[in-house]
Amino acid sequence: MAVLLSLLAGSELYGQSPESDNKQANTNENMEIHSHHHHNQSGMSVAEPLDDRSVYQLGREWTDHRGESIQLDQFLGNPVILVMFYGSCREVCPILIQDSWRLYREVDERVRESVSVVAVTFDTEKDTPDVLMEYAEKERLNLSNWYFVTSTPRAVRELATVLGVQYRKRSDGMYDHSNLVAVLDKQGVVAARIEGLGRPVEKAAGEIEQMVQREESR
Amino acid sequence: MNARRVDIISIAVSLLTLAGMATGTVSAQSERVSIPAGSYHSLFPEVAGEKNRVEPFLMDAMPVDNASYQEFVTDRREWSKDQVSPLFTTSGYLKHWSGNKPADGEEKQPVRNISWYAASSYCEWAGGRLPDLDEWEYAAERLDIQSRESWDRFGSDVLGWLTSVDPNRMPDTGESGVVTIDGVHDMHKLILEWVNDFRPPLADGLSFDCGTAGRLQGEGSEYRYASVVRTITRMSFEPETTTGTLGFRCAYDVKNVGGGNSHD
Repeated sequence: MAVLLSLLAGSELYGQSPESDNKQANTNENMEIHSHHHHNQSGMSVAEPLDDRSVYQLGREWTDHRGESIQLDQFLGNPVILVMFYGSCREVCPILIQDSWRLYREVDERVRESVSVVAVTFDTEKDTPDVLMEYAEKERLNLSNWYFVTSTPRAVRELATVLGVQYRKRSDGMYDHSNLVAVLDKQGVVAARIEGLGRPVEKAAGEIEQMVQREESR
Repeated sequence: MNARRVDIISIAVSLLTLAGMATGTVSAQSERVSIPAGSYHSLFPEVAGEKNRVEPFLMDAMPVDNASYQEFVTDRREWSKDQVSPLFTTSGYLKHWSGNKPADGEEKQPVRNISWYAASSYCEWAGGRLPDLDEWEYAAERLDIQSRESWDRFGSDVLGWLTSVDPNRMPDTGESGVVTIDGVHDMHKLILEWVNDFRPPLADGLSFDCGTAGRLQGEGSEYRYASVVRTITRMSFEPETTTGTLGFRCAYDVKNVGGGNSHD
């Protein structure tokens, strides 16, 4: 195992792009990407460019369980609870959706209506808008600010990658996947991550309340 | 007689010109190779001890080179060094280039310092997608190697390369000397490559730690060991990671053959 560890250390090393990497190539410091990390603390205005950490930069076309077209940036200005699941998953996913519900319910009633919940399916083949509607009805979550959403396999893969959600389709049509309920701030930047199933939601709920109240106190 | 000779020469010259144009305009990357359906012992078996099935697909015969990636960046300015979003890559993005083009003489080298997002977007632009982990590994082990001893020897070779690959001495695409039975070049001993699901979900009890290799190794040939090291190295990357030894190639669904530069 020590051998493997040293191999990994080696691979990490070249992964870190050591300085020698650049010595003989022309260094292009002047071409470096502009520095980022500025966080837009100003109030929300849709006309402003997206925060450069915003998940909404992914764009793409999405469709919800009502058959309506969804743009990610339509959620700008509101906190979002984001979860990835799929409809034919009978064991884990209902818990994930329930966790999203628990988080939603935990948010103070006065600010809850400004929160959107977006549940994105892995299964872009089976989970048509009709199937998603059935799912929403069955879970009694066909609420106005809840969106059960599908798109192309590529869009779903990109979103999962940004969120750090791992999944793969099995040959039996089911999916292996990791479990995440994420909170996006009003800019679409990931603000909280609840990993696993049945985890406490109070802290994330508090963060959502702060996001909303920060604006109200202005 | 004389006139006829001139004709033949002029035809020969124009044929040569055509050939020259062809190699000048059709980049190596546009050559796609069919990979037949099959199954292989994945490091992440769906059913323990059994092979995973892989459906037929097409794959670039070689990794994407700098010249091809330059075409993409020229067409999609949001992927140029000065415009790319920091959500999608690091400041090391394309750092081996001089400005918005590859350094002289490096056009045919595999592109590197590329994030997962950049690689995935390139493949979409090219009418394809990144290969899945199972597709890539399955295609990579379709080699004309018969005996256990030869596999072990090849495995040690690959391991040796994996642990000593030097970003400052990058050969051109096609120069690894390794070709699969399907005609895919450079899957070993040229550059590490992104795959679509480079971090597959792990089964219960299988976490990304130093014990993982032992559990993944299974049957324990040298080649298997090399593929474990390759896989764990890929799993150690973040999607925005860029390194001097990490490039990619694209895969294509069989039904989408012939597509190119498709826009969504």
